[in-house]
Parts: sequence; C-alpha cells; structure tokens
Amino acid sequence: MTQVDHKKVLAERLSARLGRRAVLKGLGAGIVAATSAGSFPGIARAQQSGHLKIASVKVIDTLDPHFTGFLSAIQIINNIHNGLLKIAYDGEKVTFEPDLAETWDLEDDKTHVFKLREGVKFHDGTPCDAEAVKFSLLRVKEGEPKSPHAWKLELLEEIEVVDPLTVKLHFSEPYAFLPVALTGSTGRAGTIVSPAAAQKYGTDYGRNPVGTGPFKFVSWRENDAIELEANTEYFEPDMPKLERVTFVLMNEASTALAALMSGQIHGMTDCPMQLVDQVDAFPKATLYGEIEGNYTFVGMNCKKGPFTDINLRRAVAWALDREKLVKQAYFGRAQQAYTPISPPMSGFFDPEIATSGRGQWFDLEKAKEFRAKAENQDEIEVTYMMAERGPVGTRIAQTVAPMLAEIGIKVKLELIEPAAWLKRRNEGDFDLYDFEWVADLDPDETIYPEFKSDGAWNFCGWVNTQFDDLCKQAQVILETEERAKLYYAAEDLLMDEAPIAIMAHMPIYKVFSDKVQGFNYIPADLVNLHTVSLT
Amino acid sequence: MLLVQTLGKLGQTLVVLFIVSVATFGLLKLAPGDPVQIMLGSEYSQESYESLTAEMGLDRPFLAQYADWALNFVQGDWGTSFVARTDIFTYAFKEALPVTLTLASFSLVFAVLIGVPLGVLSAVKKDTAFDAGSAVFALTGTAFPSFLLGILLIWFFGVRLGWFPVMGYVSPWEDFWTGVYHMILPGLTLSTYFIAMITRLTRATLIEVLDQPYIAAARARGEPGWRVIWVHGVRNIAMPLVTILGLQLGTLLQGTVLTETVFNLPGIGQMLTSAVLGREYMVVQAGVMMTAFLFIGVNLLVDLSYPILDPRLRDRK
Repeated sequence: MTQVDHKKVLAERLSARLGRRAVLKGLGAGIVAATSAGSFPGIARAQQSGHLKIASVKVIDTLDPHFTGFLSAIQIINNIHNGLLKIAYDGEKVTFEPDLAETWDLEDDKTHVFKLREGVKFHDGTPCDAEAVKFSLLRVKEGEPKSPHAWKLELLEEIEVVDPLTVKLHFSEPYAFLPVALTGSTGRAGTIVSPAAAQKYGTDYGRNPVGTGPFKFVSWRENDAIELEANTEYFEPDMPKLERVTFVLMNEASTALAALMSGQIHGMTDCPMQLVDQVDAFPKATLYGEIEGNYTFVGMNCKKGPFTDINLRRAVAWALDREKLVKQAYFGRAQQAYTPISPPMSGFFDPEIATSGRGQWFDLEKAKEFRAKAENQDEIEVTYMMAERGPVGTRIAQTVAPMLAEIGIKVKLELIEPAAWLKRRNEGDFDLYDFEWVADLDPDETIYPEFKSDGAWNFCGWVNTQFDDLCKQAQVILETEERAKLYYAAEDLLMDEAPIAIMAHMPIYKVFSDKVQGFNYIPADLVNLHTVSLT
Repeated sequence: MLLVQTLGKLGQTLVVLFIVSVATFGLLKLAPGDPVQIMLGSEYSQESYESLTAEMGLDRPFLAQYADWALNFVQGDWGTSFVARTDIFTYAFKEALPVTLTLASFSLVFAVLIGVPLGVLSAVKKDTAFDAGSAVFALTGTAFPSFLLGILLIWFFGVRLGWFPVMGYVSPWEDFWTGVYHMILPGLTLSTYFIAMITRLTRATLIEVLDQPYIAAARARGEPGWRVIWVHGVRNIAMPLVTILGLQLGTLLQGTVLTETVFNLPGIGQMLTSAVLGREYMVVQAGVMMTAFLFIGVNLLVDLSYPILDPRLRDRK
C-alpha cells in the first residue's frame, strides 16, 4: 500500500471546524481541542438555572452507552457521558472532534494517540484518566456480558497507557471507520464510563450511569420520567446552563404535542413526520430537522420465492415512483434517494447524484423491460409484510402496492404486530418488506454490515463476494477520495443487483418551544443539551 | 359461616390465579416475537444474541421457565425486567399499581357523583324532556370510545382553554390538590361509560323502588319529597349499584389501558402495553396477576358488603 499522509487525513477530518491554517499550525503538537479553555478548572463556571422538560416518545432500553441499541437512549446518554471524540456540525459539514481528549494524533496509520484533558472527574468524584479510558474500551471489546458493539473495536490490538493522561491505541490495520466507531450510530464504543461505577453496578449500570457529562443522572421512573441535574464541575466552560432536565417518557406522540402546545413541556426529542405540519402551524415552537444519515428501502428476499430472479428485483427497483412515495408516504418531507450514501456523509455524498447516472430511480419503461426478461411471465403474487412500526408505519406498503401492479406483480399486504414482524424479518420469512437504516455517518456502516454476504443484518440474503471485497479494501484506506471510489463501486453492484429498491433519505425532527435557547442541532439524531438554556 | 365462605372464596381465588398465570405465560410464549431481538435493536451480532438469550434463561424449556417464575413469584421475588433491568415488584406493585388505583378510584367517584344524581333526577322526572336528554347523554356516553373522548378533552380543555394539564401523574398522597388537578381529565375520560351506565341503572331501579309500598307509606306519613327519594329510595338502590360496579371493574381496568396511554400516566395499563409489545414475559405476568387479584378481591368485597348494605342478609343462622 502507498504511504498515507495520516497527518493530512486527520487534518481533513478536523478542518471544517478549525480552518485549514490553524490545523496545519497545530500539527506539530497534534490537534488541539476546539474548546481548550476547559483545562483551567474553576474558571468560567456557568450559573445554572431553569428546569427543562422534554418528551421522549420512543423506547429507552438502558442508559449504558456500551449496551444500548436505541438512539432514543443515546440522546440521554450523551448528556451524562463524554467520549474520546464527539460529533460536531457547523451547518454544512459533520466532523469528529476531540472531546475528553485534548488532542488526537496519528503516530502512524495504525496508531492513534489521545492526550486527555487534565482534572476531569466522573460524577462520583473518581478521576477520568488513561486507566478509565482503557477500562471503558476493554469493557466494550471483551467485557462480560458481551457488548453488542464489540465488533467496532475488533481491530484494536493493544491499549497502551503511556502516562496518566496519554493513551495509545494500536490497531492491526489502518481503521478508517474509527471516528464513527467511537462516536456514531448507536454504538458509542468510545464513550467513557466511570470504572468504579461500572464495577459497582455491573449489569445494572444502565440504571445508574456515572459519566463526566454536563448532567448527572438522578432517577428513572419506569414509563414516567428520567431526571438529570446539572454537573456543576463540568469541564467545558459555561456549561451546562440548565439546573435540571426531565425527559418525560411518553408513548403517544400526539399527547406530547398537546403538552408542548399547552406549555406543560418544552420540547420533543423526536417529532414524527405526521405531526410536523401541526408544529409548523404553531407559532411558539421551533422545528429542527435536516436530512440525516439514513435511507429507506423495500427489501426483497433473494433466498427464496419469486425475487430470487434478479430481473424481477430490477423491475421492482425501477418501478417505484419515488416522487409519489415522498409525497404520499413521507408527507412530502423526505428526499429521494439514489444510493444508500446520504447527505451528512461529508466527502462521500455526491450532491450531483441525481444527474450522475448512478443508482436507482423511477423509470417505468426500464422496469417493464426487466419484467419482460423475468423467468415467470404470468401475474406473480407476492406477500408484503408490514407493521405499525418505523417513522411512517404502513404508509409505504400501501403506496408501493399499486405501483407494482403496473408491472404485473400482485401484492398481498399482510399486517402483523411489530414483534412478529421483527422475528420474521430476522428469519428471512417474507417476500417484501420495508425498512430504514438510520443515523449513519460513514459509508462503511451504511452498506457493509447490512449487505455483507451472510452477514447478521443482511436479511434479504443477497450474496456478492465482489461487493464484500470492495468494502473490505475501503476499510483500510484512510483517504476520503480513494475510499469513496471503492464505496461507489460497491454501491453500484448493490443497486444493479437490487436486493433492495431504495426510496428516500429522511429528515429527523426535534421540536423546542421558543423558551428554549441555544440548541445545537447535529444531524445524527442527537439532543445535546450542553448549551441549552431556558428564558 | 361467613369465615367458611370467605375461606372457600379464597381457595377458589388461588385456583383461578393459577389458571390465569399458566394461560398468560403460555399465550405469550406462543405469540411470535422474541424479547432478545427487540432488546438488541437493529445492529447486533449472532454471538451477542445467543449470549443474551442464555443469560436471560430464555433458552430453557417452557415448563422450567414457568416453574422458576412461579416459585419465585409466590416467594415475593417477581424477577427483573429484561430490558430496563428494573425490579419488577417495585415497578409493578409500588410504582404502577398506585397510579392505576388512583385513576380507577377517581373514575368511580366521578361515576357515582355524577351518575347517581342524574339517574335519580331522571327517575323522578320520568318521561320529561330532562329524562329524554339524560337518556341521550347516557347512550352517547356508552357508545363513545374513551380514547377519542380523551383526545378531544385534551385539545379542548388542555390546549385550547389551557384549564387542565394534558398529561402526567402527581400522587395525591404527596400533593393532594395537584394530584386531583391532574386526574380530572383522565378521570372524566375513563368514567364516561360508567356515568352513563350508572345513570341508566339508577333510573331503572329507582323507578321500581318508588313503586314499593314503603315509599307510599313514607309519603303517607307526610315526609318531605326529597327525604322520601334521597333517604328511603336511594338507600334501596345501593345493592344493585355495588354489584354492578364490582362486576364492571374488569371493564374499568380495561379502560385504564387506553386512558393511561392517552394521558401518559405510568400505570399498569401502560406497563402492560409496553411489556406485551416488548415480550417482557415476567412483567406481563406480574401485571396480569395483580389485575386478576384485584378483580377477584373486589368481587369478594362486594359479596362481603351485602350484609352491611342490606340488614335482612345479616345473621341468618
């Protein structure tokens, strides 16, 4: 492999926030965290006031960052904990910045050096030092019980504690996915927990989280509320601004909206698309939301049934009228997708994708051509498994069914309960279903585990070793441009063989009343309250 | 005699509880769906799936799982929920049950306070416009789905007028008036059906009672009209009323599921809904056992209350 200028790679990742010149200057000493004032404890402590109440309308499984599988939990976890890195957004570009680390440096393309901030303490008073970082990473990598995110640190060979504030991570190969592995999606493999608390509570840590974040965990009443209070010793200056935060746990989003309108709560961590028009019409609230790192699709069973025929799958892929789907199923709020790589994946998403000729889109003529090549020329009857789940429930299935009738596929819609849907999907017991992969920030996590031959999440059962090879090659390349080329080739294979018909990239909405100031929107479904205040 | 009766009833209760517990456990296990899959979300590996299944004991045979649960349950160990890892006894009995009991009591109080006077007035003003109006109200009340009514009340009284909070629970034991304030909309929502039912029942029974000779006797004695009705009349409708209320407790508990969801009250209804959807077998068991016990217990109390309500049933030896 050619010699990679890893300093340049790192600089690229950070440049959006710091500006290119600052980065080049900082290279000698590694990259300095943007908010370095925090290293002087006792200076610029915030005065906290106000009690923020926000509705959380989705299931929260645990507040243990190393075990949760849900973004709704991450929204709260991120206010209690910090990571080695954090996700930042300047309105245009998503970047990864040092968080608990003061600097993040690459020694060579397999060795990452993190210098930690001095004097940071967990909420239980124990110090957050190199040993604590090592403890957390090991807890993810090889802890018992096994963390579902252990695979993200599979390439991590050794964690070297250089001194109390310096950690060196040695990887077996260059690991392009690392920043996302540490911060992104539901993983949070790089989130640092208090070793004392993790040892004390064991599997109950998720009910008693202790981090370094701007808020301390107070209580969790089932189906009722999760309470946090300000961490007055927080290391970033002037944060937090709130004294208390209550996440009100609700099942019914329309009740949450009513509560917001009557002033009983100040916001919603997630505003379902069907309520967005109502929020828009309400003058005293602000809607936050942009297209995030996700894609939705109709999945086809490549292992059994009619869709083992590649031409039939292609016919479906070209028969879906995406414009109509966006309008009817997504309330006109989503954006047509051509391939899985989505807008927040800076450097990988092609803004000109619509005219690039890559991917899938609606072309009935082309769909009919493929249909004519299919083995079975009679009318084909297939079962579309749907459930009241996901962002828009059964609306997609109902919009798609008549489109497939156009190409001689008769769709039988089968409505089942979400738990049964999940089981059947995981067992590959369907012809068609629709799903969405959400909150992805890197092309690797957005296509590779989902479509790896015989992978655990590859529910369509598509097998293509060329695709696997391309993704594997891309994993060890650190330079964005070169990586992107490989992912484009992988995507082209995926879109051409069509185990899925891709539909849309969705915006994810949050709402806050006008009393809430200073919310920093990040397109990764986060609700970071560090800078939020109440008037 | 009463003691023997009570013991017999208790024995029956235990048998019923046993059957209920086996049936719920079996039905849940038969339903497709897997708590581990739900817990792990979308992104997981086969390895973590298997280790979690083993850790939760879900790889063991059905009967062993049931026996384990039952033995622990009778000893007061209700287990730990899969996802939240919370102690089920605390969650179900100490946190959720009081909420549902509060909601149910408020609805019953509303139902009696509004239903009985309305029924009495209808009976007294039989076949007038008022009677017809109350009949229409009662019919609408029985037919109206409670969740829809709840949403309408929220939008009108909560959002439009801003008179009442639209969600949340405050324990009346900690802060009585705030608690009552939060219970008014959900209480009304849940009680509409019962108000209607009690109105009709009160009217029907009171009309019958008012035809009885002792009412005529009271009138003949020259007692004032209000006294004849509210003392002699209403006292005699207490028994059918209590019977019906006891029998309808099941409907009431059923109604709490929807009402609690609409008003976001952390009671047994919400607990059961999320537990069934998440396949939290042991939480569902705990919820069903408490509900069954409550239902049987109240009917036992209704039986025991007859001698108090009707002196003729006392001391028949």
